[in-house]
Amino acid sequence: MSEVSREVSYGEESIILKTMVGLLYPFIMLFGFSVILNGHYTPGGGFQGGGVLASLFVARFVVYPVEDTDSERLHALQRLFLALIVLVPAALLFTGVVARYEEFRSAYLTLMDILIGVQVGLGLGVAVLRFAFFHGVGQTWHL
Amino acid sequence: MIEVGTLLLMGLFAVLVIQSNLLRLSVIYLAIFSLLSSFLYVIYAAPELAIAEAVIGSGLVTLLYLAALKRNRVYTVAVVSDERRDHLTDHYLNHVERSKALTEIREFFVRREYEVQTVFVSETLDEALRDPAYDLVVAEDEEGFATYTDDESYVILELELMFQMHGTDSALRFIRYSPEAVL
Repeated sequence: MSEVSREVSYGEESIILKTMVGLLYPFIMLFGFSVILNGHYTPGGGFQGGGVLASLFVARFVVYPVEDTDSERLHALQRLFLALIVLVPAALLFTGVVARYEEFRSAYLTLMDILIGVQVGLGLGVAVLRFAFFHGVGQTWHL
Repeated sequence: MIEVGTLLLMGLFAVLVIQSNLLRLSVIYLAIFSLLSSFLYVIYAAPELAIAEAVIGSGLVTLLYLAALKRNRVYTVAVVSDERRDHLTDHYLNHVERSKALTEIREFFVRREYEVQTVFVSETLDEALRDPAYDLVVAEDEEGFATYTDDESYVILELELMFQMHGTDSALRFIRYSPEAVL
């Protein structure tokens, strides 16, 4: 007789988990955006807020582990934001717009925080989803 | 005082991570360790690092480890002896061990990086199908080896697909049953 018991999947439907994650979901989102948007005044910023946003993917996966997210599209979006992170400073800093107009400085920092936050959130989220729904060695995704 | 307490607790959990026998428990200890270190960052006036550590260290990394652990589960293949045999003889065990069907099933699991263990059971087919400890039941009848799986097992579906795509030397048959019908 085998003594190996079948392991309980962590994606099993638990009503406590479902209810609590459902309750917390919007607050995680709000916290993530507040960390991003207040990044230039208070602790936090793009990377930290992006990490909080990425935990939304995790929360969703824990409650509802079904592969219905198009990670290819999310990855493409993430690359778009990565390109913007390079292009926006190039456009605004090197042309001297931020240096000339002091009132733009805060808006520029917020814009960069948003770009970095979304990029990090999508990047970490896609990484987690791909790892969680890994289908084997033979099948790789186009990078 | 709080700082020293947190550092001591971190040391304790660091030891627990290594010493615990269950990997799953280790992952949880690691998450607690990470949370304590993020608390320490707050004490050291680095709240930015604290947020990053709390989110990534105890959130994302924990999930990645748990997902990796889930991949590493052991699949149990139960071989049911033919009903005509009263007990498992050495001759029968050798016959099954050397059969192409079992070799190919093992190859599949190894290729997928799953761990597989084979058990020979003296239960009848119905009893073995009802036992939740077995992921795959293999039985031999007049036509050769056959695997019995329920409809929801997607790993076995992959096995079947692989056999269809790459061909197979063994005349392994796949028989599906719905769990309700057996119960």
